[in-house]
Amino acid sequence: MHSLRVDNLSLHLPNGQCLVEDLSFTIEPGSVLALMGPSGSGKSSILSWLTGTADSRISAQGSVWLGEKKLNSLPTEKRRLGLMLQQDYLFPHMSVGENLYFGLRGGTRQSRRDRVRQSLADAGLAGMEDRDPATLSGGQRARVSLVRTLLSDPCALLLDEPFSGLDTALREQIRRFTWEAAAKLPVLLVTHDLADIPLDARVLTIGECNHSVGPLRVQSPTQAL
Amino acid sequence: MRPYLFGLAALVATLFLLPIVLGAAGTVMPAFGWVDSLATEGGFEAVVADPRFFSATYLSLFTGIAATVLVLLVTLMTLVCVHDTRLWRFLSASLPPILAVPHAAIAVGLLFLIAPSGALVRFVSPTLSGLTRPPTDWVVPDAGGWSLIIGLVIKETPFLLLAAAAQLSALNVGASLRIGRTLGYSPARCWSRLILPRLYPRIRLTLLIILAFNLTVVDMALLLGPGSPPTLSVLLMSLVNDPDSRGAASAGALLLAALVACCFFLMWCLEHIVGKIAAARRQSGARGRGFGLFRFIGKGVVVSLLFACIGSLVLLLMWSFTRRWRFPDAIPSEWTLNNWTTRGDMLLQPAWTTLTIAVTVMLVSLLSAIVWLELERYRIAPKMDSVWFLPLLIPQVSLLFGWQAVALWWGIDGQWGTVVYTHWLYTVPYVVLILAVAWRELDPAWGHAAHSLGAGYWKVLWKIRLPMLRRPLCQAAAVAIAVSVAQYLPTLLLGAGRHQTLSTELVTSFGGVDRRVIAALAVLQSLLPLLAFVLALIYPRWRQTRLQRGNSTNPSGTIA
Repeated sequence: MHSLRVDNLSLHLPNGQCLVEDLSFTIEPGSVLALMGPSGSGKSSILSWLTGTADSRISAQGSVWLGEKKLNSLPTEKRRLGLMLQQDYLFPHMSVGENLYFGLRGGTRQSRRDRVRQSLADAGLAGMEDRDPATLSGGQRARVSLVRTLLSDPCALLLDEPFSGLDTALREQIRRFTWEAAAKLPVLLVTHDLADIPLDARVLTIGECNHSVGPLRVQSPTQAL
Repeated sequence: MRPYLFGLAALVATLFLLPIVLGAAGTVMPAFGWVDSLATEGGFEAVVADPRFFSATYLSLFTGIAATVLVLLVTLMTLVCVHDTRLWRFLSASLPPILAVPHAAIAVGLLFLIAPSGALVRFVSPTLSGLTRPPTDWVVPDAGGWSLIIGLVIKETPFLLLAAAAQLSALNVGASLRIGRTLGYSPARCWSRLILPRLYPRIRLTLLIILAFNLTVVDMALLLGPGSPPTLSVLLMSLVNDPDSRGAASAGALLLAALVACCFFLMWCLEHIVGKIAAARRQSGARGRGFGLFRFIGKGVVVSLLFACIGSLVLLLMWSFTRRWRFPDAIPSEWTLNNWTTRGDMLLQPAWTTLTIAVTVMLVSLLSAIVWLELERYRIAPKMDSVWFLPLLIPQVSLLFGWQAVALWWGIDGQWGTVVYTHWLYTVPYVVLILAVAWRELDPAWGHAAHSLGAGYWKVLWKIRLPMLRRPLCQAAAVAIAVSVAQYLPTLLLGAGRHQTLSTELVTSFGGVDRRVIAALAVLQSLLPLLAFVLALIYPRWRQTRLQRGNSTNPSGTIA
């Protein structure tokens, strides 16, 4: 497993407005960095830039590394950065199992089938392989979406407010499931809710570039509270 | 509920279904020899015995299926390779005006482009080709039907592309592509596995309409298709004008309808096979490679088609102002206005007839669509979206032969009203379906708010709903005019030769009249719908600008 490193990232909107200035951080495998800040401060833009799907009108400088491998020039599909968004985006024309097969890389037919079944069982969704995603509850959908991302064998995990669409009871359950499942990966979490952040995580608060306090500060969740 | 409202709904439905039912009956009965005055014995035997029948059937099948497959492929290729690029934005802006250009005008423009003496050869002659005379190696229209296929692809691809583009927002393409690519799939694989399986069911009906049209088109086949043998629909047109062959023509029209139905079934089977294969391949986990070359080819195809389409229109315009344009000159050596001024008789009368019919059809279509959608809103009329498509799915030849026979029997053939009524049949589906989306989405709370202020039904409709739906109403009006201007067969068969529109004049004059006058006719035919589209674009914006200007200058809102 490799660490995810961002060096000197600056993002500017087409009108010249600065979103992020000279941002650098490293996330080691098994650790979580939470990205917080007001709406429109550029949190999701950072994630889009990391995955290589940022709006082409946003000008960006900086580099992103996975271990010793520079990702900047790689297309999205070669970066191996798993992404989970607020909406689960389970493909509606595929069954639950087909969604998972879609995420899975390589393997024989038998091994693929075994892995999908095992993953479903681990997620508490055994026997749901042939179910239509539309018939699942919000929590089940979130788990399938996370399992799909993990089956694609990512080297790091990017989470863009993945718990915000869930009700309070379900949130805690899915958080726990997520942190257990992603225990060995570097994780970058974008959230508005401090409760989403594991206690051992670091928090990076970003604000407007021209803010007098300065653009960034890294702190622990207790400090953030 | 007031009974007359149900009567109104029944009236619109009856007016719409009447020509379809009677047209079908009017084709079936003579085909089986059940109408003495119209039929000769053994219609089916007679049409099959025609020495051109089987080769015409083959040609129709080949050109219709090949053009439809190409239209689908080019559309999908365009989406995969061009979506969300600068070219896509240009394409999206160009689609409505391209769609507005009638088939016959595009066909004539294409002939000016690809003929041996056409612009393509001229541009490379004599410098690159060494030609000082038009080549004799090929002729247009060619015997294989390739010119017709190219023409159909150029005209029908924008239609399917527009239908597909309208559905993309509902599929959340950006997010699907993003998720698919972060899972390691190439953009082409994301499209083929995530987007297209969901998009296809939404454009299936449009594709069926295109397939039916391509298999049975008459005006384009007359201009771009081979003459001997012609396509089946053109062959049937030659039979229907002969009273002794009326039974054979009707039987042929039924066979053509059966052929279209068989192709629909074939498409359904193919869909299932491809769907099964695609579902199995989705589970393989193969990520796909980069698609730089594929994207390059795709962009090349899109640019070529755009060039062919816009180039055809530019050529029409150039030819209409040409006095002398000798081969191999790239541009005319002498220009003139004479093609427009000296042949006014040939241009003005058809233009006036076309305009009056189109405007009347547009007004009647809008009125009937508004009536239907309002009745639907109050649950007096049922939703029947798929029924509106019926005239577009049944071959025109199969429906209109019968409808013409009924019109003859009732003594209403050749009347202006009958032509307008038949145009309306082909126009109202588009108008209803364009308006239905906006009508159903308009928040009823606006009406409730107005009612609470004391406004009655008519005031709410006139002052609130219609002005709020101004933009789709203008679009629907423009489409209605474009569809009516392009109608060839309804005018020819139901007009009994008494109403020359630009479509009928263009097709019938082609080959026998100076190509410069033909070009002027085609330009005029294209101008009317283009003008309608420009007005549909400008009018709502002008209203909006006037409102905004009123906001900034009207002193009445200022408190003294």
